[in-house]
Amino acid sequence: MARKKLRILLLSLLPLFVLGFLAFRAFENSAAYYYTISEVQGKDVSEQKLRVKGQLVEDSVVYDASIPLLEFRLTDGNSYMKASYRGVLPDNFHHSEEVIVEGTLHSQGEFTVSKLMLQCPSKYEGEE
Amino acid sequence: MSYVGMISLYLAGVSTLLAIVLSTKTLRAKRDSLAKWAHRFGAVSTFFIVLATMSLIVAFLRNDFSIAYVSRHSARNLPVLYKVSALWAGQSGSLLLWVLIMSCMTATVQKMKRYQENHLYLRLGIVMHLVCLLFLVLLLFVTPVFERLVDIPYSGSGLNPMLQSLGMVFHPPLLFLGFSGFLVPFALAVVGLCTGDTQGTWLKQVRPWVLFAWLFLTAGIVTGGQWAYNELGWGGYWAWDPVENSSFFPWLTSTALLHILLLPEHHRSKRVWSYTLIALTYALTIFATFLTRSGILDSVHAFAGGVLGQVFFAVLVLLATFSLTLGVSKRHALRTAGSETTGATLVVGSVLLLMLCAGVLFGTLFPVITRTFAGREVVLDASFFNQLSVPLFLVIFFLMGIAPLVREKASDRKVLPRTLALPVLLGIAAAAYTYSLQSGLAACLAFGLAAFGFGTHLRDLFFPRSRRHWGGVLVHLGVLIVLIGVAGSSVFIDDVLVSVEPGQEITFGDYVLEYQGLRARYGSDQYTVTTTLAIMENGTEVGEITSEKTFWEGRHQPSTQVGIFSTIKEDLYLNLAGWENQTAQLHLQRFALVSWIWVGSWVMYAGALVALLKGGQVKLWSRPIR
Repeated sequence: MARKKLRILLLSLLPLFVLGFLAFRAFENSAAYYYTISEVQGKDVSEQKLRVKGQLVEDSVVYDASIPLLEFRLTDGNSYMKASYRGVLPDNFHHSEEVIVEGTLHSQGEFTVSKLMLQCPSKYEGEE
Repeated sequence: MSYVGMISLYLAGVSTLLAIVLSTKTLRAKRDSLAKWAHRFGAVSTFFIVLATMSLIVAFLRNDFSIAYVSRHSARNLPVLYKVSALWAGQSGSLLLWVLIMSCMTATVQKMKRYQENHLYLRLGIVMHLVCLLFLVLLLFVTPVFERLVDIPYSGSGLNPMLQSLGMVFHPPLLFLGFSGFLVPFALAVVGLCTGDTQGTWLKQVRPWVLFAWLFLTAGIVTGGQWAYNELGWGGYWAWDPVENSSFFPWLTSTALLHILLLPEHHRSKRVWSYTLIALTYALTIFATFLTRSGILDSVHAFAGGVLGQVFFAVLVLLATFSLTLGVSKRHALRTAGSETTGATLVVGSVLLLMLCAGVLFGTLFPVITRTFAGREVVLDASFFNQLSVPLFLVIFFLMGIAPLVREKASDRKVLPRTLALPVLLGIAAAAYTYSLQSGLAACLAFGLAAFGFGTHLRDLFFPRSRRHWGGVLVHLGVLIVLIGVAGSSVFIDDVLVSVEPGQEITFGDYVLEYQGLRARYGSDQYTVTTTLAIMENGTEVGEITSEKTFWEGRHQPSTQVGIFSTIKEDLYLNLAGWENQTAQLHLQRFALVSWIWVGSWVMYAGALVALLKGGQVKLWSRPIR
């Protein structure tokens, strides 16, 4: 009886181990922090991929469709960060309040964006 | 109109409450004369919920902007179709639609012949009406749907252009149908356990409802994916976004449940498994609502948060505690004397589906976990989910491939090598061909397993043992077709950004695209810039592709309509990114085999329908269960 119980225990632990292994393996290169702008300003330039969340500064958006290059500034209320994105201006960009950028810190607090994610708090509740 | 709706909702609430009270009384006091009234009040509550919904639809159609909800989601010039679908564009409207579906379902269940015996319909009604009542309370007091405005605007603020799409018309109702459908198995299980049913009769009635809910949940997920694929900026048909994942959890557990239900009646752990999965699936539909409404996670499909999230969290905790307590306290009824242990493949497959669910759940909640325990948010992106799920998926597809062989009787096992020859050959050929296209191991395995699965299912497809079996085979084939589409469109991708002058040609894959310039179109409150490219293949024109950007008056955000040219081999995806005079910036993408996903999903629906309409032991709409 005891051996049978042990077998059942081991059998039920197996999926957890497999899952843990898979999750651990998938962890590499996937996890990214959300940094605040102030934290980013204190960081050294590096190749490390960062994820930064900030408010879009109104009237800071410059878009050159011919390259295409999108430049804007983000703020967390205290400090500012310049960001540039080589890609197409998303439809809802001007309307977003919160922007999440993923990329690397370039120089002097300038951020090169590789992935742009937008958040519109009022997205599905219409425009107030 | 708002008063009609408001009063209807109140009356619906009252009659639901009366139905619950009278049902309880009938069962407690054994007063059969009351049963009739309990049933009637249930029907009356459904009537009033229908009336409330109708009145809101009429308010939308008649541009009654005195109702805050209408003015927030509609405008005078909105097309009629979207005025109707704007009903579920916001939070309270979605809840109204949901409770409408649940209430209609309750009424249907109460009418069905096979639940008449032993007051089963009253017992089921109590559970289902309780859930409806909760929603009605939310609609009346937490997010009042018929709230009125003091200053009535001339027109509403309109519907977000992204929501003016056929996806918005179909996706939410299908999903809600799926979610609501799982309430019936849950009610059956709860009633079965509470009434001390030690024979497990409740389990035999569960299957058609699970299949029904699964069908609509699948359709809801697929239409959602199709919508996200057609809409720019939503990351394609599947992006492992929290909101997308949240509908995937109950899908995984209910798929496992459907397989567990195939176990023989005397399998010793069938009942425990089934009960656990039924409760888990229902809890996960509530959890999905909590995730999408609470705002605890960031999503591109984010809905406005608020109190509703907390309410659903409370419901979730309550539900989990209740299910667990019930299961533990009635564990003797979940135990079976049977000792049969066949069907190991089904159990292993279900465990794998559950592992997938747990893994994706963990990844989705990781930001919350790290925020709570480490003080800062760590988000896992799509690559995490892909690396985690692909190995599990591949094992699941392997099991699915061998499923028809496992069911063989021992006497047939001798001919196994002969039956296996064709599938294995097909699989190796497909894998080798994929390898020759310089793609990775996962892609080779995916295509190889898909071809192998086709091979093993072929015989059952043409010589099925029963209609129900045929339905299952069709669903499996549909899944394999979807697998081919997903694998193809994830691996074979082409992506360019070009700047073109009118008259210029772009060579893209096997195609030559001819850019002829931009056109502008003006409407009363918007203007649209359009480009249409002719698509040439081997010197002949095979079609055209159009993308346009619309700018609305009074809205910062333009809306881009992407162009999709779809063939069985691949999809061309065009986005008019920008322009200066007649020089346009075009974002062109090529995804292989996307249309297979949509075709496969139709095969899955067909299979589920076949299995549903001609059930084995249980026929829907007829023969009462003893």
